[in-house]
Amino acid sequence: MKAKIIMNPNPMTLRPTDTVATAADRILKHHLRHLPVVDEQGRYLGTFSIYSLLKLTLPKAVLDKYGLDNVSFVTEGIGDLAQRLGGRRDELVKNWLNIHEVAHPDTPAMEVMLLMLHGRTTSVPVVNKTNSRLEGIISFWDVLEKLIGENN
Amino acid sequence: MHGSSEAAAAALFGLDPMWMAAILFALTYVVVMTEKINRAIVSLLAAGLMIVLGILNQEAAIRGIDFNTIGLLIGMMVIVAVTRQSGIFQFLAIWAAKKVDARPWGILVMISLVTAVTSAFLDNVTTVLLVAPVTLLITEELKVKPYPYLFAMIFASNIGGTATLIGDPPNIMIGSATGLTFNDFAYNLAPVVLVIMAVTLAPIYFIWGRHLRATPEDRQRVMQFNEYGAITDARLLKQCLLVIGLVVAGFVFARFLGLEAATVAMTGAALLLLLANFGHDAEHQSKHVLEAFNEVEWITIFFFVGLFIVVHGVDGTGLLKLLADKMLALTGGNLTATAMVILWSSAILSAIIDNIPFVATMIPLIKAMAPTFGGPEGLMPLWWSLSLGACLGGNGTLIGASANLVVAGFAERAGQPIRFIQYTLMAFPIMLMSIVISMGYLYWRYL
Repeated sequence: MKAKIIMNPNPMTLRPTDTVATAADRILKHHLRHLPVVDEQGRYLGTFSIYSLLKLTLPKAVLDKYGLDNVSFVTEGIGDLAQRLGGRRDELVKNWLNIHEVAHPDTPAMEVMLLMLHGRTTSVPVVNKTNSRLEGIISFWDVLEKLIGENN
Repeated sequence: MHGSSEAAAAALFGLDPMWMAAILFALTYVVVMTEKINRAIVSLLAAGLMIVLGILNQEAAIRGIDFNTIGLLIGMMVIVAVTRQSGIFQFLAIWAAKKVDARPWGILVMISLVTAVTSAFLDNVTTVLLVAPVTLLITEELKVKPYPYLFAMIFASNIGGTATLIGDPPNIMIGSATGLTFNDFAYNLAPVVLVIMAVTLAPIYFIWGRHLRATPEDRQRVMQFNEYGAITDARLLKQCLLVIGLVVAGFVFARFLGLEAATVAMTGAALLLLLANFGHDAEHQSKHVLEAFNEVEWITIFFFVGLFIVVHGVDGTGLLKLLADKMLALTGGNLTATAMVILWSSAILSAIIDNIPFVATMIPLIKAMAPTFGGPEGLMPLWWSLSLGACLGGNGTLIGASANLVVAGFAERAGQPIRFIQYTLMAFPIMLMSIVISMGYLYWRYL
């Protein structure tokens, strides 16, 4: 089975110039974890995810590669944290993209599952090899549905 | 046997061994400076060539390696690797920030002091790796620019490291080569280091400190930090404090106990690993011991090993003795003039080149001057000149010391890059000021 059979060909996407506020709204409303970001030609640029939102809420000092690995001494309440994220609602999503490993329409199903395991992600963008356009997205649920369906 | 092989190698290239060694030595310096090839590779390769070309044999090369320096470095690195997991350094930084009611300038002074005291006992790079993240968190909470804090941190790490035998690699090397003890360093260098630290904060206050402001709400957020939350493992912390206490006591009483520094540090490291792993199964022990060993900076260690061999090779050819004679001819064999030349040249050169190879070269060179100044005892002011120049000179530019580059890395990633020229324009004059103070101190106390 190939990626193009399993994928959702009409995923919800973001534009690079969308704001963090728009992205957060969509993530919350649709309970999505990953939103692919595409440009006007439909080319895949990266993924804005719930992890991007976590990074936007945490202090920079924690995100540094040699940063603090324990912040249990910071006793901020939810109000302070909300203020942190609120202060960044107008930033553009293009600055907070994760670049995930992508699949191509012809990538076999097993390889897609391995990408999920290695990338610790629940969704893999499917990208056209020649023009970099986003063809669809495969979520873990799409794969699981196919697997369970076969067994029944 | 060795004599004939040396002659054969020299004849092969038609060069005097002294010049061959000099060329190899100069090449090592140049290639290390360009930073195109990892410095451990350069020094090991040069050491290998020294032996292959017959400038010295393997036996002599191994004798050239100062295992006391190597052992002291590795032992301390293992102790730090285990201790940092306890969260003690974050605890100290937060505790210090709260002691001054989270006032921006007060925090800068306190963070500088914590950095200086910590780097007097630990490696400077380790110190800034531990203190910089918590400093960035505090400045982010206070909504003040991190630049002045990071600038002061660079100075504090290099100045603090000057105060003790174990604070900075030049001191470790000098101590090991001369038999000067932990107490000798503390007694001779710590007083001037205190003065230099205090005086260095003055320009930082006038340039940035007096403009630092934070709102009461932002300060309140820092005051609400619970420093005890930073302690991740209280049992480990107690074990670390116990072992560090024993190790420092070991250094202080080293001469009385007849122990070398490497023995103290290595035994301390083994004791700490024993305590931290006691009662755990074999698999857990292997994992934790390996983690601690992995944090040893092997690049630095192998750089030292290769360098000791290269310098020993050069020393054996009489080149350094020749340079020492030239320097004495220049200063007319006057102790004051010689000390000043060593102080200033170490400071300027250490701001530009790595101070480790420089000090490794200067040690045999200064030792060769002993007859002129009435034996090893007469060299004391020269050792302190070398230490002060080489350690403090590192502040002069961004590439003067490894800790500077580590801090610059943090600044860059935090979106507040420390630029080379901008840094040098501020730092070089402040560094020169510290050398002027050192000059006065040396003159007053020893010359």
